Parts: sequence; C-alpha cells; structure tokens
Amino acid sequence: MGSEARWSRHVTVIVSLLAGAAVWEIAAYFTTRAFWAPLSETVGSLAESARSGVLTRQAMSSFQLYLTGLAAAILVGAPFGLLLARVRWLRVALENYIMMLYATPMVALIPFILSMMGYGFAPKALVVFLFAVFPILYNTVEGARSIRPELIEVAHAFRSREWQLWRDVMIPYTLPFAMTGIRQAIARGLVGMVAAEFFLSPSGLGQMIMMGSQNFDTAGLLAAILVIVVLGVGLMDFGRHLEARFASWRGHDK
Amino acid sequence: MVSGAGKRFGGLEVFREISLEVGEREVLAIIGPSGCGKTTLLRCIDGLIPLTEGEIKVEGAPVVTPREGVAMVFQHFGLFPWKTVFQNVAYGLKLAGCSGAEIAEKIPNYINLVGLSGFEDYYPYQVSGGMQQRCGLARALSVEPRVLLMDEPFGAVDAQTREILQFELLRIWDMRPTTMVFVTHAIDEAVLMGDRVMVLKGRPSTVHELIEVDLPRPRDRATLSMPRFAELRERVWGTLMDDARRAEFEVKR
Repeated sequence: MGSEARWSRHVTVIVSLLAGAAVWEIAAYFTTRAFWAPLSETVGSLAESARSGVLTRQAMSSFQLYLTGLAAAILVGAPFGLLLARVRWLRVALENYIMMLYATPMVALIPFILSMMGYGFAPKALVVFLFAVFPILYNTVEGARSIRPELIEVAHAFRSREWQLWRDVMIPYTLPFAMTGIRQAIARGLVGMVAAEFFLSPSGLGQMIMMGSQNFDTAGLLAAILVIVVLGVGLMDFGRHLEARFASWRGHDK
Repeated sequence: MVSGAGKRFGGLEVFREISLEVGEREVLAIIGPSGCGKTTLLRCIDGLIPLTEGEIKVEGAPVVTPREGVAMVFQHFGLFPWKTVFQNVAYGLKLAGCSGAEIAEKIPNYINLVGLSGFEDYYPYQVSGGMQQRCGLARALSVEPRVLLMDEPFGAVDAQTREILQFELLRIWDMRPTTMVFVTHAIDEAVLMGDRVMVLKGRPSTVHELIEVDLPRPRDRATLSMPRFAELRERVWGTLMDDARRAEFEVKR
C-alpha cells in the first residue's frame, strides 16, 4: 500500500469513528434518558467510576475471572487435543461428545452449573472455561490430524522416539492450528465472562451493566459496555497477532 | 541383504520372491514401472514397513525398525516447514542426542557439502525444490550413514535441476562412498548412478534382470556420452519398455 492510500484509509477510519460518536451523541436528544445516554454523559460516567475506583475494581474482577477460565481452557484444550489426535481409540470414543458440547450453546448449561456448584468464583470460571475450551480442543485435534503422514514417516526413518515425535513434529505442526482455536476462544471466553456475571453471582463488568439497567442509569450501563467492547477489540487483535506469529510457514506447506 | 522378500497389502500382492545383495560401497539402482513396488521395497529395507514374506538383513542383522547407520532421502523431501534449513539438516543429529556444540560444529560442513551455504536461516518454502532436496540430502548425510536409501530423490524437481543434482550426488559419493540403494523410474539416472541396475517387472513384480554397469568411476557428465553408457541404457530400455508396451495393451483390451 502506498503512503497516500494509507493516508486516505486513516482519514476514512477517523471520519467514520467521529460520525459514529456524533450519531451516538445526537440520538440521545430524540429519546428519553432511560433509553439512551449521549456519549458525553457515558464518558463522564466512565470517568466518575474510574475516579471512585469502582471501574478498576470491577474490571479487575472480570479480568481475573476471564483469564482464569481462558488459561484453564488453553492448558486443558491444547494438550488434550494433541492426545486425542494421536490416540485413535480415545478420539473415536470421545469425538461425539466433543461435537455435541461444541454445538451446544453454553448459556443453556448455566442453570445446571448453578444448581450443581452454586454461587462463587469457581462456577463462573467454569463457565468461561466451557465457552473457551471447545474451539481450542476442536482446532487442535483437526490440526494434529491433518499432519502429513510423510513427516511422521521421516521422523520414524530418523529413529524418532514417541516423545521426540511430539517435541519435533506434532507440537510444532499443531501450534498454528491451536492458535486459531485460541483466537476463537479469546472471543468466546469474553461472552462466557459476561454470561457468568449475569446469570451466576453478579460481579465485575456484568454487574455494572445489570446495576445500570436496574437503576435506569443508562450512562453507567453504556460505560460498562464500552469497556467490554474496547477489551474485546484489543483481545481479538492480540489473538490475531498471536496466530500470525506462529503461522508464518502455514499456507506455504504443500 | 534381501532374501525371498514379498509384500502384500490386503489382497494386492506388490512384489514376490525378491532377493538381492548389495555389497559394501556398492550402488544398486532399482528401476521399474510406476506401481511396481520399488518404493515399497525401499521402505521395507529401511524398516518403516514390515515384509509379508522373506527377510531383510542389514550388516548381518534382521531389519525390524529403522536402524542406526541407515538413512533415507525422500522423493517428497520430507522437510519440516517450521524448521530452517539448518534446523532441518540438524534434525538427525538432534534425535541422535548430539549436543548443541557438536551440531554447531558438524552441520555447517554438510550444508557446505551440498552447496547450501548462506541459506542456513531460510525456511523450506523460501527456497527452490532443488535446494530443498539438497537440504534433504544433507540431513541424511549428517548422521554419517553406512547405507543410503534414495527414494526417487530427484523425481519431484524439474529436468535441469535433476541433472545438476545427479552430478552433485556423484561428486559427493566420490568424496564419501557409501552403500546406496537408489530407486528411480528414469533409465539414464539408473545407469548413471548404479554399479548394477535391477529391473523390477510384472504384477506382482519380481526381479526381471540384474544388469552390471561397467562404467568407470568417477562418473560425470562425460559418462553420458560414452558408447557403453548408450548400450547399457538401451538394454535397460528394452527390458523395461517391452513390459510397458504389453501393460498398455492389457489396459486397452
């Protein structure tokens, strides 16, 4: 891309964002406050809750929940996915369950988790985990299964032991696929986080949204949503970088 | 080395009653029409797949799994796309448990030997097919094998590169001669490389003819223009094409 084209792109993006902000601001004057708060008030509310420490506390609470669930999903999903790809009978035995759970909207399981585990941090982390783990598991299994048999043969020809086959072939080959799963998990985990905070014991940014809604504090509600949006965009971007970083050779692999 | 070897995949018998012996530092070229099982035979010799009948011995010991001292070069190169040229060449030594210092000392020699100096940090997809196979060759040589198994090593590169690589291989072999089994479907290549050429034919295939190649070594481009080379090539051609023609008729009938 030439520098001129890049310039006009930047200008378009900035104009688009400014126009969005203007529409947000103006729309408030045609509706009641209980319905819609202008951007200026939303930002004001955001600044207020940041000053009082509420925002930081709630955001940290949410983030802690999110990271716990996501980390657990990565630590379980990726190794287990590799294992499933390598151990055929285990895969055949479990793949239907995995497909079923992957296809199930996880929100549907929340009442069940509530009755099983009650309120607290653990059931909420479990919800985030369940939202995040299946894309990782699924992509890792599919990735590891797509490994070219020639490469495994080469490893055998060079007298590779099983653990060396994992270290030198299986894991590096599967990593980009697992990263695709992790990128999807980053997005789904965020949904899980908000859902858990809504339907289990209210906490974090989810609680801020609920409270805003119950108190007709639309500006507070929108402020919390804005934080989640920014978080989501940032995390998605991070996920894409992560994926690209580990997939430089993919697509060239003939 | 190989005695009474037979291989069946389910109901399909690929070859039967193959016996051969390759002497130390001898090059045996195996040629045959596609589908005759020459690659399968090579995989059996390496110990990657088991025989259905018969026995294979390398250096006196029966082959059940890939052995130390035997290395293979693959038609599909078999390079790891996430490893650089250097890391790919170092793969065998890494598996053999060599230290980092040992690898750093030895590998450049092999990279140099196959003419890849300067490309150590490139990834396979960044270099040409010919260079990829040079890398595959260096990887096989780096474990200092006493037996080299070549599975149509130049089958996937273009004609010019193929010729260049053939003479490169001859040069390298002259520097460090090893026992070599060279599978190919190219007649010129078989005659150029082999001390003997074994022709596999039929379904299931058997050893049809074993032709002594009495061309002097070292061989190079000049070998191609020797009258004796042309004679031997004609002889292999005759044996092979006779069958190919009949096979064609069988298909048409």
